[in-house]
Amino acid sequence: MENMANGEIRKGKGYLVVERGGVGTARVLYADDVACELSGLSREKLLGMDPEQAARGLGTAVACLDGGHELWILDTVYGQMQHIAQLEHMNAALEDALKSAEAANQAKSSFLSNMSHDIRTPMNAIVGMTSIGLAHIDEKARVQDCLLKIKTASGHLMSLVNDVLDMSRIDSGRLTLNEEIFSLSDLIHDIAVITRPQAVQKNQDLQLEIGQIYEESLIGDPLRLRQILVNIIGNAVKYTQENGEIRTSFAQRPLDKDKVLLDFTCEDNGIGMSQEFLKRIFIPFERVNNTTISRIEGTGLGMSIVKNLVERMGGEITVTSQEGVGSRFCVQLPVAVAVQGRKETELPAGGTVLMAEGREDRVRQIAGCLEGSGLILVRVKSGLEAVTSLTQAQYEGHMPCAMILGQELEDMSALELAAHVRQLAGRDFPIVLVSEEDWAQIEYRAVRAGVDAFVPCPLFRSRLVEALASLLNREGEQEGSQASLNTDYSSYHVLLVEDIPLNQEIAMEMLSMSGVQVETADNGAEAVEKFEASPEGYFDIIFMDIQMPVMNGYEAARKIRGLPRQDAESVWIVAMTANAFVEDIRLSREAGMNEHCSKPIEPERLQEVLRDRFG
Amino acid sequence: MQAYQDEYIANLREIASLTMGRRQEGQSFEDYLKQADREKRQAEEKGKRNMLLLREELFPALDHIYDAGPEEVQGLEEFAGQLFDGREELDLGLFCQIRKALLSLARQRKKREDMIRQLYWLGMGYHGLCNKLVGLDWSQTRNYTSRMRLCFTEAAAYLKYYDEIEDRETRGYILRSRANMALGRFNSAGEKIRMVRRTLEILQDKGYQEKEPGLPWDRFIYMTHQQMAASISHSKNDQMSPEDVEAVMESVYIVYQRRLQEAAERKEKPPLRPGFSYNVIEYYCGMFGLDELLARLEKLMDEADPADFSGDGMYGIISLPAFYCQYLSEYPEKIPKREEYIGSLYQRALDYVDAFPKASESETLFLYLRQLSCTFLETGSSISYKEYMIRLMIRFAPEIYAHSWVVARAAVAFCGIILEEEPTFFDDIESVREIAGPEEKRREILSFALEAGLLHDVGKINFMGLYTHTARQWFEEEYEMAHLHALVGATWLSGRESTEKYAPVALGHHYWYDGSRGYPDSYRRLECSCRQIVDIIGLFDWMNNVTDTARLYTGVEKTFEEAVEAAVALEGRRFSPLLTARLRDGEIVERMKRAFEESRREGYRQLYEKSLQDMGIDGMLTGCYDETVRTAGKRVG
Repeated sequence: MENMANGEIRKGKGYLVVERGGVGTARVLYADDVACELSGLSREKLLGMDPEQAARGLGTAVACLDGGHELWILDTVYGQMQHIAQLEHMNAALEDALKSAEAANQAKSSFLSNMSHDIRTPMNAIVGMTSIGLAHIDEKARVQDCLLKIKTASGHLMSLVNDVLDMSRIDSGRLTLNEEIFSLSDLIHDIAVITRPQAVQKNQDLQLEIGQIYEESLIGDPLRLRQILVNIIGNAVKYTQENGEIRTSFAQRPLDKDKVLLDFTCEDNGIGMSQEFLKRIFIPFERVNNTTISRIEGTGLGMSIVKNLVERMGGEITVTSQEGVGSRFCVQLPVAVAVQGRKETELPAGGTVLMAEGREDRVRQIAGCLEGSGLILVRVKSGLEAVTSLTQAQYEGHMPCAMILGQELEDMSALELAAHVRQLAGRDFPIVLVSEEDWAQIEYRAVRAGVDAFVPCPLFRSRLVEALASLLNREGEQEGSQASLNTDYSSYHVLLVEDIPLNQEIAMEMLSMSGVQVETADNGAEAVEKFEASPEGYFDIIFMDIQMPVMNGYEAARKIRGLPRQDAESVWIVAMTANAFVEDIRLSREAGMNEHCSKPIEPERLQEVLRDRFG
Repeated sequence: MQAYQDEYIANLREIASLTMGRRQEGQSFEDYLKQADREKRQAEEKGKRNMLLLREELFPALDHIYDAGPEEVQGLEEFAGQLFDGREELDLGLFCQIRKALLSLARQRKKREDMIRQLYWLGMGYHGLCNKLVGLDWSQTRNYTSRMRLCFTEAAAYLKYYDEIEDRETRGYILRSRANMALGRFNSAGEKIRMVRRTLEILQDKGYQEKEPGLPWDRFIYMTHQQMAASISHSKNDQMSPEDVEAVMESVYIVYQRRLQEAAERKEKPPLRPGFSYNVIEYYCGMFGLDELLARLEKLMDEADPADFSGDGMYGIISLPAFYCQYLSEYPEKIPKREEYIGSLYQRALDYVDAFPKASESETLFLYLRQLSCTFLETGSSISYKEYMIRLMIRFAPEIYAHSWVVARAAVAFCGIILEEEPTFFDDIESVREIAGPEEKRREILSFALEAGLLHDVGKINFMGLYTHTARQWFEEEYEMAHLHALVGATWLSGRESTEKYAPVALGHHYWYDGSRGYPDSYRRLECSCRQIVDIIGLFDWMNNVTDTARLYTGVEKTFEEAVEAAVALEGRRFSPLLTARLRDGEIVERMKRAFEESRREGYRQLYEKSLQDMGIDGMLTGCYDETVRTAGKRVG
């Protein structure tokens, strides 16, 4: 273009004063510098010229000055177009703003409507169930059912209120983040405990995978971090059909010497989201609208809170999704490292560990955790292989130093194998259970079966190594290890009442493993005497044989309970007898005993009793 | 053996003969009742004596097991051998207790030979327990099977040191343990077949044979072929690889040929069992189709002699029909044209059991009957499953039948009382809710209660050894196993039209009202479609147990009044307060007491008269039902 020399876009407008004569005639009376520049003509040429010619190729605007004169305003076409575009853009922006305002208003109205529904629904349940419970107050089972429903409804109500309060804090800028040291493994374990039951209820396969972790001890706000992760996984569970799959992974990348980047992804094969909804997912009050999942409850604030929290932590969250296929959330968070270069717990190098696990992925994880530890892993897939291997190792005198028991064997339950191995390999052979199951749910059975330590999944190297170390270095004073189930009870006093010297010796040896201070009595009468002679509260547990000369265990227990001293009622009395009838167990209870151990006594059972008593 | 051990065994045998409930020729009902009462008391006395022997002699011995001298250990070995010898079981629970103690001792003393022997026998004991779990899902029986297999596996692991172990008996135990690793169920048929195949390879290895020529290798190998051939009964062709089929086929032919030869030498008919395996493996090999297989099985069953009470006879009359029906249940389109034939098979099986001498003493017969129960096909031409199960109960467990009758009649009487006050009390049952007419509704409820009461303990049939032959209190392990009767009963009842509505009663009658205790975990009271009836059956089952039937096993013994008091004390926890509230009414208690007494007598009268043979179960139920409906709910005095 000739009026845009060297591609430079000229700015400004030119002015012409035009005299209009007779019909169809007009001439330029005045032209300013910009008009000359825009038209590319000198002023001399412009003056007297037909203004139509002068303005050819330019945009014009004409204003009448009087009956015979006009002011012509000249502009480039591009400039004019730009102007128009600006105007259009402004209009569009205004329109968008209007739409957004309307949408926000709509969302807010919808939120209020939803909230009133969401609040009313659990409130209806609470009020209704309370009435039903009151009407059937004598029917314990029905009242219990009502209370369970009230508990569920009030829990839901509480989460609604919490979400609204969180959003309000974020909106008003009052949300603060704590900075404290936390353990990543504890955090992920908590998340597993919270989210797994929901997934189990829907029979979903929820996998929590751990990638490369550089530092487990971190600084941040663990509660808010948990809120972010639980919210994302919880949504995946909520929006994935029964029998669906949810795969999550946690990993770290080093950022600098004080920080790591926490990478979290959560991928599901649930209902997914439309591209349109994806744009609005982090907008408050939005929820996926799908008739097939109309029973899904929530405020629609969760993801908005998550995004705000992630951004407040300096991280970012992204989401991809396809309707009917599933969704994938990725969170990247920079987190400060609490302690660097922690000293690794050492394991006795060169020892062999038998690993009984049918799942290949778990085998890889365990092997990965123990890589470089110096331990040699021997893997078997089934209980029968494990027993064959241990029997032969025992015969040949090269028993492995421990067994890591996975949760899925090809042929039997892990605890059945543990119980047999405990008998086969003896009481000192360490058995470590690595499992996704909630320890609180299986502890009783696992300890009875002879499991020494439990390592939860997702599996962390530190936990597995510490559990093994606490068992393998038993003489290495691994005090305070949480993983080991054999706790130190050296401050407690136990009275062991047993008439057979060999039995007494065996029980003494088993009890001494836990550190309790053991005193003995050879029959019931001696036990009563010793208890009477001891200071109040001196004995914490009495292990009482039943069949004894002079005075049997039942009578001794009754006499102790009848003594006029405060600890006579509270002292824990445990029957030890080969009399294994159910009536015997009842008789020991009726004699005032708290527990019953069948003979021959097994160390795991003694440990279990000590743990029950001392916590 | 020591004197107390001999006495214990003699008492057990006597108890078994006392609990048969047999009526003598020409005996009046009153005499029969007196005899039943007397025998029951005698059995209880013997049981109490046996418990005393255990408390005073055996338990102290086990208590001191680590001190035991050779004679004492030998005595325990022999005692255990008498309790269970691998075939006949007198007291499997006690057998396992002694074997476990002996195994602990062997481990403690590090005596390898003893350890291997005890592992073998403990495995055999667990195998006996596994046999009682026929009819339960694999998930429920897996732990018991694992326990058995772990014992055999540990003993078999010493095969590697076969050369170093010079004792022939121990070598025999190792080889037998290796073979027994394949006993019981597996995840798949192929797994079992591969396990047997590996055993065969070991047994046929000349290296092992030459080192111990004195062992009965031929018998070991033949028995393993039998095991392989028998695995066909549990297999499905889609679970077997071509190699599996080939291995089974080879064993089937070997067994078949040998049995044919033996039969020819004895001038007997060809045996049925190998005939079955032979036909089935040919079917799996594609030699012919299912119709031909069914026709061949029918021919085999028709050849079975109803007067032959040998193992082969039992197999032909009871076990073969079970497998036949199993094939039919997988292809139900084949059933309609065989309905009459199926009906005749069940009738023949029941007649056979009635004619069987000392039927209740035969573990094999009982095992086969349980197989038949599991695969039972209810058709228009056959007896109903309900009748079949009640007949089994009367034949094999008269005491359990008498108990069920008492519970059923008490439940009916109590339902009548409740209906007078709350006609809609049982509207949780859908079929009841839909009935508009009060009298029709009442009849439906009382009929439901009566049949539910009769069938609630049907699962106990699986655990007969525990419930009728043990004659002592249970050990903890036995108590846990006895709990499975609820699951077994529910599984059986839920699979057939005539009984499915009573399955929740079998499942839930031991569950506590408040859900805090009881079993099994799979029962959910608030989701139960007939929870009020379940509560009622649970209450009267408990009351009759503590006042009569099960007091020996659990050690809880109460008078009727004490039981009522205890039930009220458990109000809201174990028992529904809606029921126990009524037990505060003296008049109702008096009435229930009378119902208990009368129904006990009625139960024995049915056993005496064998009413079933005369009028069939439905006729008997109708008769009793009319009487029940007439009297239920009418106030005393």
